Amino acid sequence: MSKKKVSIYRFMSAGCNGCDVQILECLVPRYKLAELGVEVVFTPEEANVLAITGGINIKGIEALKEAYKKLREPKLVIAVGNCAVSKGIFDKGYPMVGPPDQIVPVNFYVPGCPPRPQAIVSAIAKVLGESLEEKEDYWNSPEGFRGKHEFDSEKCIGCGACAQVCSSEAIEILEDNGKRLIKINYGKCTFCALCQDECPTQALKLTREYHLLTDNRSLTNVTNNVELFRCASCGTYFIPSRQIEWAVERIIEKVNLYKEFRLDLKNAMEICQNCRKEIDNIRKAKKLLSQLSLKVRSTN
Amino acid sequence: MPKIVQVGPYRPQLVEPERFELLVENDKILDVNIELGYVHRGIEKLFTTKTYMQNLALAERICGICSGVHTLCYAQTVEGVMNMEVPDRARYLRCIYMELERLHSHYLWFGVLAHSLHEHNAFLKIMSEREQVQDLLEYLTGNRMNYLINTIGGVRRDITPEKAEKIRKILKNLRNLSNYLLSLLDDNGEFTKKTKGIGILPKGKALLLGAVGPTLRGSGIKSDVRKDDPYAAYGELDFEVITEKDGDVWAKSVVRAKETVESMKIIEQALDNLPKGEIAAELGEPSEKEEFGRAEAPRGELVYYIKSNGTNIPERVKVRTPSFANDFTLIEMLRGDLLQNARLIIESIDPCFACTDRVTIVDVKTGKKRKVELK
Repeated sequence: MSKKKVSIYRFMSAGCNGCDVQILECLVPRYKLAELGVEVVFTPEEANVLAITGGINIKGIEALKEAYKKLREPKLVIAVGNCAVSKGIFDKGYPMVGPPDQIVPVNFYVPGCPPRPQAIVSAIAKVLGESLEEKEDYWNSPEGFRGKHEFDSEKCIGCGACAQVCSSEAIEILEDNGKRLIKINYGKCTFCALCQDECPTQALKLTREYHLLTDNRSLTNVTNNVELFRCASCGTYFIPSRQIEWAVERIIEKVNLYKEFRLDLKNAMEICQNCRKEIDNIRKAKKLLSQLSLKVRSTN
Repeated sequence: MPKIVQVGPYRPQLVEPERFELLVENDKILDVNIELGYVHRGIEKLFTTKTYMQNLALAERICGICSGVHTLCYAQTVEGVMNMEVPDRARYLRCIYMELERLHSHYLWFGVLAHSLHEHNAFLKIMSEREQVQDLLEYLTGNRMNYLINTIGGVRRDITPEKAEKIRKILKNLRNLSNYLLSLLDDNGEFTKKTKGIGILPKGKALLLGAVGPTLRGSGIKSDVRKDDPYAAYGELDFEVITEKDGDVWAKSVVRAKETVESMKIIEQALDNLPKGEIAAELGEPSEKEEFGRAEAPRGELVYYIKSNGTNIPERVKVRTPSFANDFTLIEMLRGDLLQNARLIIESIDPCFACTDRVTIVDVKTGKKRKVELK
């Protein structure tokens, strides 16, 4: 057994204390924290590593600075859990001033909501450059575990339903230059899997991966790119091409009668909402249709 | 000459940040001042910015330890708003998940108690054994905490016969842990002499101060939402409401230890009588109304109030957590006791400050804090 070289002080402000309990659970012998030479201490003066949980509110800010000042060298700071990484679900809460790296320098981030004790211990081992044997069964996450996200880019139609239902605004939809980027920030995610439930094509899945340690929180993303479609009338990008195909198929599935109008349905959907709004009388509709048929003819 | 001793906020004596100002003379506590707000996150405001579904994840994060019952109570209240019926199977499954949560919460509390009593071996034993419940919850729900298993209209994951078998197996192991806890608290138990007669909350005061849960039951009052106002499938299951009359830390510990055994009884009954059918109902539409719901969290009665304006976003959500109700009983318990017992007494109510801290008001402009002051 190596001698004690790392002393961790826990600091919690404005979290749900789930992560705090996970750190406490790390003390259970089966996680081998003591074998790594790590102990948990109860004053910042005794510690050289600060484990922050929670997103820090107005009341916690001075105490955090104070704790960091008292910390012994090398003053390593680890942000445990998504509140400490990015304020998580409490991002828009009015008393929140964090995330902690806005107040004190943070060296490492352990995303998770909460991260498993296994994730915390193996992150600590990695930071210390120690090797940790993870062969017992409990190091594997069980079937159905909600971990890091994974896109099936073959299936994703880029509809953005996941971003709509996300409980912590962790999913962003960015559009640029004919492409739509779906960006999941698992450093802010609550791992509630509402996105997985809601995805119409089962393209999004929460995997069993839980080792998410990083030293740069701008990299905690899972992304997927889809091509956008240009409006047949005005030429602006407005909807992913695949979403049109998917919607046409769903309509035909529901109403079999429309089967023979497949092409017409598709053509109708290729006009953006702005162009549609302009159609307020029959003359304009005729004009638009003639424009489109001209385009179709010329491309043929 | 009395002096002021501070316990917390970020101090080893407490698991969670909270500040207690104790007025002490000759090691005797004369008065107490509680300051809340170190875990305040503005959750009730955030509730009104998210949809009913998204709020499930938020409700759960009020407190990480009793996260499941928060979603249950919230979901039950929303089901009232949406006039929904929960399928029978879901009601039974809810009981199973919530009692598993009570087990892990009570065992955690015993772990913390052992830690406060400097019983390191007991602490390691309790926490090691407790991992079985955590592993089980992770296996059943997909996360160790914040499992989001309850949804509006039911639950999200079913219990297959294979899973039920695993639950039974683990419960068998946990019986030993509960027996061990009871042995620590019997006449010659190691915990008994360190907890007996400390932090007494008399019956009358407990009622007067509005205590809930094991804190109230430890003072001899039979009160449990599961019995008094049955929800989920509790009305159809047979279990005892445990009470102890002494009102001290020991009595509260015995109540919790015996409750773990009752929880196992509930889980086994629910598994035996699990009805067949759907596990969740189709989501309804919110009607314009006010709804009130309550449930028995591991720490006591949890209350949700929701005002709906007919949209998919609630207009107002108010939460009264058990720790908030119990916090004020601390003043009665601490007064007149010895300073060295302060930490033990504070922990005896199983305070969950993450729960409590949605109520302190901080004025951003002037920096003035409105304390919860007690005289």
